[in-house]
Amino acid sequence: MKPLAVYIHVPFCARKCAYCDFASWSGREGEWRRYFDALVTEIRLWSGITDFGLLKERFHVQSVFVGGGTPTLVPAELIAEALELCRRIAPFDADAEITIEGNPGTLTPEKLRTYRTAGVNRLSMGAQSFDDGLLRALGRIHTAAQTVEAVEMARDAGFFNINLDLMYGLPGQGMAQWMDTLHRAVALGVPHISAYSLILEPGTPLHERVARGEVTVPDDDAVITMQRAAVASLSKSDYGRYEISNYAKPKSESRHNLAYWYRGDYLGLGCAAHSMLDDCRFSNPDALDDYLAGERMADVQRLTRWDVIEETVMLNTRTTRGIDLTAWENRFGRPFASKECAALKRLAGAGYIEIKDGRLRLTGRGLEVQNAVVLELLEIQEAMER
Amino acid sequence: MNYDQSRIRNFCIIAHIDHGKSTLADRILERTGVMKLRDMTDQVLDSMELERERGITIKSKAVRMPYTAKDGVEYELNLIDTPGHVDFTYEVSRALAACEGAILVVDASQGIEAQTLANVYMALEHDLEILPVINKIDLPSAQPEVVKGEIEDEIGIDCEGCPLVSAKQGLGIDDVLEAVVERVPAPTDDVDAPLQALIFDSYYDNYRGAISSVRLKAGRVKVGDRIRMMAGKCEFDVTEVGAYLPLGYSPKDELCAGEVGYIAASIKDIADIHVGDTITLANNPAKEPLPGYKPVLPMVYCGIYPADGADYETLRDALEKLRLNDAALSYEPETSVALGYGFRCGFLGLLHMEIIQQRLEREFDLDLVTTAPSVVYKVVKTDGTTLMIDNPTNLPPVQEIDWMEEPCVDAQVITPQEYVGAIMELCQDKRGTFKDMKYIEGGRVLLNYDLPLNEVIYDFFDQLKSRTRGYASFDYELKGYVRSDLVKLDMLLNGEQCDALSIIVHRDRAYPRGRSIAEKLKEAIPRQLFEIPIQAAIGGKVIARETVKALRKDVLAKCSGGDITRKKKLLEKQKEGKKRMRQVGSVAVPSEAFMAVLKMD
Repeated sequence: MKPLAVYIHVPFCARKCAYCDFASWSGREGEWRRYFDALVTEIRLWSGITDFGLLKERFHVQSVFVGGGTPTLVPAELIAEALELCRRIAPFDADAEITIEGNPGTLTPEKLRTYRTAGVNRLSMGAQSFDDGLLRALGRIHTAAQTVEAVEMARDAGFFNINLDLMYGLPGQGMAQWMDTLHRAVALGVPHISAYSLILEPGTPLHERVARGEVTVPDDDAVITMQRAAVASLSKSDYGRYEISNYAKPKSESRHNLAYWYRGDYLGLGCAAHSMLDDCRFSNPDALDDYLAGERMADVQRLTRWDVIEETVMLNTRTTRGIDLTAWENRFGRPFASKECAALKRLAGAGYIEIKDGRLRLTGRGLEVQNAVVLELLEIQEAMER
Repeated sequence: MNYDQSRIRNFCIIAHIDHGKSTLADRILERTGVMKLRDMTDQVLDSMELERERGITIKSKAVRMPYTAKDGVEYELNLIDTPGHVDFTYEVSRALAACEGAILVVDASQGIEAQTLANVYMALEHDLEILPVINKIDLPSAQPEVVKGEIEDEIGIDCEGCPLVSAKQGLGIDDVLEAVVERVPAPTDDVDAPLQALIFDSYYDNYRGAISSVRLKAGRVKVGDRIRMMAGKCEFDVTEVGAYLPLGYSPKDELCAGEVGYIAASIKDIADIHVGDTITLANNPAKEPLPGYKPVLPMVYCGIYPADGADYETLRDALEKLRLNDAALSYEPETSVALGYGFRCGFLGLLHMEIIQQRLEREFDLDLVTTAPSVVYKVVKTDGTTLMIDNPTNLPPVQEIDWMEEPCVDAQVITPQEYVGAIMELCQDKRGTFKDMKYIEGGRVLLNYDLPLNEVIYDFFDQLKSRTRGYASFDYELKGYVRSDLVKLDMLLNGEQCDALSIIVHRDRAYPRGRSIAEKLKEAIPRQLFEIPIQAAIGGKVIARETVKALRKDVLAKCSGGDITRKKKLLEKQKEGKKRMRQVGSVAVPSEAFMAVLKMD
């Protein structure tokens, strides 16, 4: 029996944020019901015999993540029903991590109670910033005060495993503002914090504003300084960095997150959801209408040995535990690199990587340029494969 | 029409760029009926895409037109279109030598401009009758009377009755043709003397082989004759002679003295035809060749490499095809540590080089990396032997060199008086030696300098244009070799020498050039995981240094809902980018970096 992570996508939002290019739509309340009906149908399909066999005979569910969009926007009963049905896909572990992503402005005690009853035991909130001006500029619908309120409300409802998403590198964001946001998130005592640097995605309103020169985003140097400040400040408060953008108090790392980085099997349900089962990747259509029309499992890709090597390097190195070299050798039947590999030595010598206790991990400096380090590591793999 | 020299008119059109030379040629072709309106494209004679786009003529072309003048007599007009750039000065001079007259086109609103004068002087040198024509009289800003006055005052040509035309609207074209008939002298060549045909152009035809465009200065030639290239020293049997139509050939029984046309003789290699050479008959040769022949030698060399090594064969085929039509282009395989397999190519000048590069890229869809242009240096070694070096990489070690010589040109600059100071300063900067200064008509000055060719090819022409706002014209001729204190400037990336970036330069220039190249490389080489020292060195001594700092940030923050496609795409893109770069030791260098070095300040 293999562990399985289940992802459920809820593609609805009260309002689209200025930086967002995910599959989510606002103002389609009329389609909520239809969407969940389609989702239920999809869950039932995965509960029977599939291309991957009967999942309940092969997998046990270690985590569920209900993400979006804003899953907390829609009636909580819809979520509860879907979660309940998911238990028919494969048995849930007794301590399965079940997370719902939500927006501080959309939470109520009633909704929280319903989630709790449905087995949800973790909350991930898009706080983004504790600066109301910045929140407005990003098109968020909540205020800093609402974030504080939502955390208290969650605790009252029995949720203690809480994550706050924070963003840096925002237009007009200064170092002091960022430090203030970090301090206030820490002060709330949540066990998990995700700190993402803004990515300007083409086609988003924010990207256009920057392109037109209406707003400017901090340069690379400023962003790196903010990121380093986050590592330093969070570690002082006992949050360890376990992935490029994720920090947790001891034993509070998100298992669902780690499943992605360690290439565990995962099943994505709903529009735009991605899956990987038995080294086969597939996804549902990005467009809501296509999903509602019944399109499923587009872009099926059976991964080759080289794909798996590439993904392992690319994903494992995002975590601070890095690549398990023994597991690597078991999986690929050869060592990661030769003992005398000059390229590896050069990377280590320059302080980008560290090889210790049978693991290869990127240092703090290495994580700042992870893409480039991955390219180097893959060149080593190309040579090893020859 | 029977052969009658008195009815032949051989002429060309000269003009400043944009004054309407090609449009006037189009109208003349149309008016004489050799081109039907429906076959007309703009700038018929500029058939290459590049020629139309850049508005310059690269190859000489000739076309024969029958024209019945107002006197009722049918004349044979031969229009020879000439290239318009200093790189092709020699070709132009041969084309002019094939004519008796030149139409001088002057824009009715712009008046006389820099090139107008340079062209007029060249035409006068060949004793051509000059027919001024005022063009663009349809423009509201046209001032034909003022422009006429300018021509009379500054050039000293009588403008009485000169045609006023609008080539664009087709006005006054008849007047131009009548003027050609009346004023361009008919040739008076001796048809009974031994054959002397001046080659003013050559090109390749898939069916006829390499073809010579000729003006017969004496004698006659027909199919079956055995001809001899007087300078080329080779003989061929004539398979076809004839005149040119705008888009084809009009074969004739024979060509006679005074006529313009082509000679085909199943010549396989265009290199056997030298522009400026004289064709004569093998069994009745002329005593002397026509004057003015110079072998065309490449003046500038550079390495041309495919950006993608897999395109090497395509590049070779492409060069072979271009070479078929361009005797002045030469190429030989060479290899570079940094750039792999490519070719050392020789050109007439920088424009010629640029044109070939662009044609390779466009017509053959190739991505190229080119190295800095170099002239041919003469190296006298300590053992007394002499080497000619067109690639800095081939320079022997310093201790084996006794001395070096560089090619020097005799440069002539014609300029309005007010720019004399600026030009003298420029020539001084470029290590020029002042020879002479003359005042000529129209308040203009002719400056004569000896200049090292490697300075001329660097950025002399651009500097001249910018310092004189385009008013100065420039012409040069290779003079010979002079001894010079030259050094090889090497560029080192992370301590490794990059052969494709080496140049030969005068010692006094080495420091600023080294610093400028290092600065440009710093801009062109993207940051990488490791800091990259860039050094300019002469014989191991570092004279300039820059550093490309280590990469600061290159990471994707978020990966949502297990969707890793974006990460994979980015990775693929970065892998592609890296593949396109050249590996110099441990440093990845983008193709653009090699080009950046060529850019002037």
